[in-house]
Amino acid sequence: MEATLKYLTRILPLVFGIGFLAPLFAQAMAVAGLLDPEQRLAVGLAVGGGWGLLASITGRWI
Amino acid sequence: MSASQQMTAVDLTGLSNAELVRLERQIAQKHSGMVPWGIVAWAFANLLCWLALWPLVFLEVIPLWLGFVIASLNISLVYLPTHEAQHHIIGRPGTRWHWLNELVGHATSWMFLYPFEVLRVTHLDHHRFSNNPDLDPDITNHADGPLSAIWVSIQQRQPGAKRVGDYLGCLARSKREDLIRLTLVYRLAYFGILIALAWTGHALEAFFLWWLPYQIAATYTNFFLSYAPHSPGMQEGRYRDTKNWRSKVGNIGSMGMQFHIVHHLHPYIPLTRTPAAYWEMRPILVARGCKLEM
Repeated sequence: MEATLKYLTRILPLVFGIGFLAPLFAQAMAVAGLLDPEQRLAVGLAVGGGWGLLASITGRWI
Repeated sequence: MSASQQMTAVDLTGLSNAELVRLERQIAQKHSGMVPWGIVAWAFANLLCWLALWPLVFLEVIPLWLGFVIASLNISLVYLPTHEAQHHIIGRPGTRWHWLNELVGHATSWMFLYPFEVLRVTHLDHHRFSNNPDLDPDITNHADGPLSAIWVSIQQRQPGAKRVGDYLGCLARSKREDLIRLTLVYRLAYFGILIALAWTGHALEAFFLWWLPYQIAATYTNFFLSYAPHSPGMQEGRYRDTKNWRSKVGNIGSMGMQFHIVHHLHPYIPLTRTPAAYWEMRPILVARGCKLEM
């Protein structure tokens, strides 16, 4: 149980970064009229995924 | 001099401990025992209002910015009804309205991302061990000043924060490991909903109607329910762990927490009755040497 919890706590920020932040950034860029759809998603995945990965490693978003 | 001023001006410092206890209990009993129907209405009206925001925003009946403002108010207003239910104020076990008490707690706590029983178990431990650096699950809300309290609240919501360990430790001490699993289910469900909304083109709605309002509400709640009445400089002990204080945003703006001392002494008194109970109890609290700003 404890091991599962620790594992999930570790990977949840990465899941959140890819699963939520990436489309959030892409949709925010769409509202702002920036880039084309493929580029928006690529940027969203890079920023959201990267930030999530960092949060997974360090245990903090900010 | 008004009746309330006459009452608060009474000097009870010469009374014995037993006499002070008896007087305090008489006042507490006078202000407790009733069903706080206003809180019940508040809980369900708030829930329905927040749920209604989603179709209203999706169908563009109201703009997202307005939905965000209302959602921030809604989620900031979630905690107090669940707090009443945590203390069985709406209905004690074995009484007619106990089912309603539990319904209020379970129906609304999920908006705040926690199972009701987790909020109850950890909050009751906060009452039991207020300001104890090792056992108070809310000790991480302590800070040296208002700005520091806001920053601390944000920091303690990070994945690797001490508060996560404090809450897990509290649930383990209470032999409620089942609630750890339930918390995980709630958290995964929350993430699942956000992700599903995001990948169906509603990331901004999910962000402005739930994620960001929750962050604002959690900071606001931590500030007024935990930091302001318990720090800085408050100690441990029945008459030392919290205080009466004057909020710059008034009693409503601080969610009734100016009279938090009454809640800690008699947690079965409904929130809306704590100001009246305070003014009647004030001479007793003065005799007890409590920290009082009003």
